[in-house]
Amino acid sequence: MPSPASSSDTSSALYAERPEWKDVTPLPQYEDANPIAPIFYSEEYKDATDYFRGIVKTGEKSERVLELTESIIRLNPAHYSAWQYRYETLLAIKAPLDVELKLMDELAVSFLKTYQVWHHRRLLLMLTGNPGPELKFITESLKVDAKNYHTWSYRQWLLAFFNDDDLWAGELDFVDAMLVQDVRNNSAWHHRFFVVFQSGVREGETERGRIVRRELTYVKQNISLVPNNPSAWNYLRGILDFNNLPYSRVEDFVRPYAGTTTDGSTTDLVDLENPPPSTNAQLPCSAAIEFLADIHEKEGGKDRVLQAIALWRSLADEHDTIRKKYWEYRIREALKSVKE
Amino acid sequence: MPDLPPLARAAHAAHCLRCLQALPDSQIEVDASRMALAFYCIGTLDLLCLLQEKTRETDREAWREWIWEQQTSGRYGSGFRPSPFMTPALRAPEDPYTDYDTPHIIMTYTALLTLAILRDDFSRLDRPGLLDFIRACQRDDGSFCTVPGSNETDLRSLYCAFAISHMLDDWSAVNTSRAIAFIASCRSYEGGYGQAPFCEAQGGTTYIAIASLHLVPHVQAPLLTAAERELTIQWLVRNQHPAGGFSGRTGKDADACYCFWCGAALQILGAGDLVDARALAMFLANCQFKYGGLAKAPGEHPDPYHTYLSLAALSMYMPASALASDQRHAASWTFEPLDPLLNARVETARWARKYIPAPPRG
Ligand SMILES: [Zn+2]
Repeated sequence: MPSPASSSDTSSALYAERPEWKDVTPLPQYEDANPIAPIFYSEEYKDATDYFRGIVKTGEKSERVLELTESIIRLNPAHYSAWQYRYETLLAIKAPLDVELKLMDELAVSFLKTYQVWHHRRLLLMLTGNPGPELKFITESLKVDAKNYHTWSYRQWLLAFFNDDDLWAGELDFVDAMLVQDVRNNSAWHHRFFVVFQSGVREGETERGRIVRRELTYVKQNISLVPNNPSAWNYLRGILDFNNLPYSRVEDFVRPYAGTTTDGSTTDLVDLENPPPSTNAQLPCSAAIEFLADIHEKEGGKDRVLQAIALWRSLADEHDTIRKKYWEYRIREALKSVKE
Repeated sequence: MPDLPPLARAAHAAHCLRCLQALPDSQIEVDASRMALAFYCIGTLDLLCLLQEKTRETDREAWREWIWEQQTSGRYGSGFRPSPFMTPALRAPEDPYTDYDTPHIIMTYTALLTLAILRDDFSRLDRPGLLDFIRACQRDDGSFCTVPGSNETDLRSLYCAFAISHMLDDWSAVNTSRAIAFIASCRSYEGGYGQAPFCEAQGGTTYIAIASLHLVPHVQAPLLTAAERELTIQWLVRNQHPAGGFSGRTGKDADACYCFWCGAALQILGAGDLVDARALAMFLANCQFKYGGLAKAPGEHPDPYHTYLSLAALSMYMPASALASDQRHAASWTFEPLDPLLNARVETARWARKYIPAPPRG
């Protein structure tokens, strides 16, 4: 059975050679005698953009314009005018948007790092008003690149823009699955914050205290499994800052990771509030030393500040020497406050 | 720590001169942003102080002409387009642009800086038209779009609108309080800023946010609380890796361009002395490509974007200790100072501030 001709089959012939395009006058690009960084265009690109300028001039919006703009986008996905004209054409001819989204599924994978692909998708979703299937698509495309900034921003936009309870329902499980795959994926931690503390907060959710406790437990468990994970430590700070909780609330948890515990009996009882570092953990963990120093500084008083200074000293001289100047700055600032 | 190898200044200049001459078809994605590429190439020559030596006056004259030819006027005001990529050969220069060939706000910012590098007198600048264009780009939420009428918006366009207003010394086209509220909505719990509300903290957009906040004139209330400032500094310095380079996000690999984005944000916050400049220089030394240009990381291919930003980072963070200990290569690591707010050599920024504002009447 012969397969229907797809656009990629026909695009092998130049537009200039195709009889069905004979009525369009191609318009070559303006270029002066001394251009800066001229590009040696391929014949296909020159041909397609000549016809595109011709189409823009007449203002034609038709089925074949979709083919033409697709040709250009495949050669140069950053051609924002081709995207813009394509979008307007879709609207003008009331093209079926499910077909367009299907094409975008493919282009998103080919041009994952191009802003325009994601931008076009947003515009389409605002037209269809059907965000449901998108979450699955995004989850799939994160399998190709789990930290792609555009992909994550698109997911955040989608959730916040439609802000529909059904859409949010599976989000925490999704983040959890992403973090199980890679607990160091900062994009996933960031997304968790967005879900739990920002746009994901649902109306009538009165038990915020319970949610904060749940999140503290969650991040502590993850730190206990992989202590040297800056993303998790930042998330812990984020929870406390956002909810105006004192850092000292997690002092007992942090202490063993800073390698300063003097009490050997902590392993007897498994304390769920304060899961200890795994036995093979590389300690001390510099993020924990930093955290403990921050706790001391925030608690204040001469003794506490001196303890903070000792910790910063150890970071500057031993555990985090690349930031030596930063730790010395913290020491200077703290000393000022003690003297005052 | 091993000795710093020399910085191959002439080779890096040659890399950018080659790109200015012509680009292969593989660079086709630059078609809609050629003005920015021109800025990174000519800017590299400026940072290296090799513009006079490596180019002829006729080249510089031709470049100025090409840039002015991209200034275009129409229903949304005047500004610069990326290149004539949408301009038909037969269009008369005085014809208004179509909706698909409008000025672009990021290209306008880079065009103005490049003209300042080329010491243009800006007598051809359509200032009232430029103000109209900036006005046409601002959206209700305070953000700016890249081209009028588009939904394409992120913090970069906002910074460009601010930088242009600053260079014009005229803020009448911008609703600053809305714009500042938009910046605040991009702040993340980590202390950095994302490219849009709710997005992950990222080094490039954090520079953009911090620089924008410091470009706004006459603001009474401090734009960052002391605690916010400290958290941002903390996040920025944490992005420096033990090998000296900066990453753009928590847990990502180091990349040469973030040496500028994070490094410049720290400079603006008055915390530039907290960076390990020698380690930073060592990382960038290893990003040098053997045939010229700097790459995002050791072993990668170079491009003008990473070349310019690496040298801009070095202009703020000269490895002072290396200069003292190793006289042989010291000269190659010496730069003139950089203005971190505008991202240009101080001398160039001074020129921009002098000639871009409207001349006094009468
Ligand atoms: Zn980079």
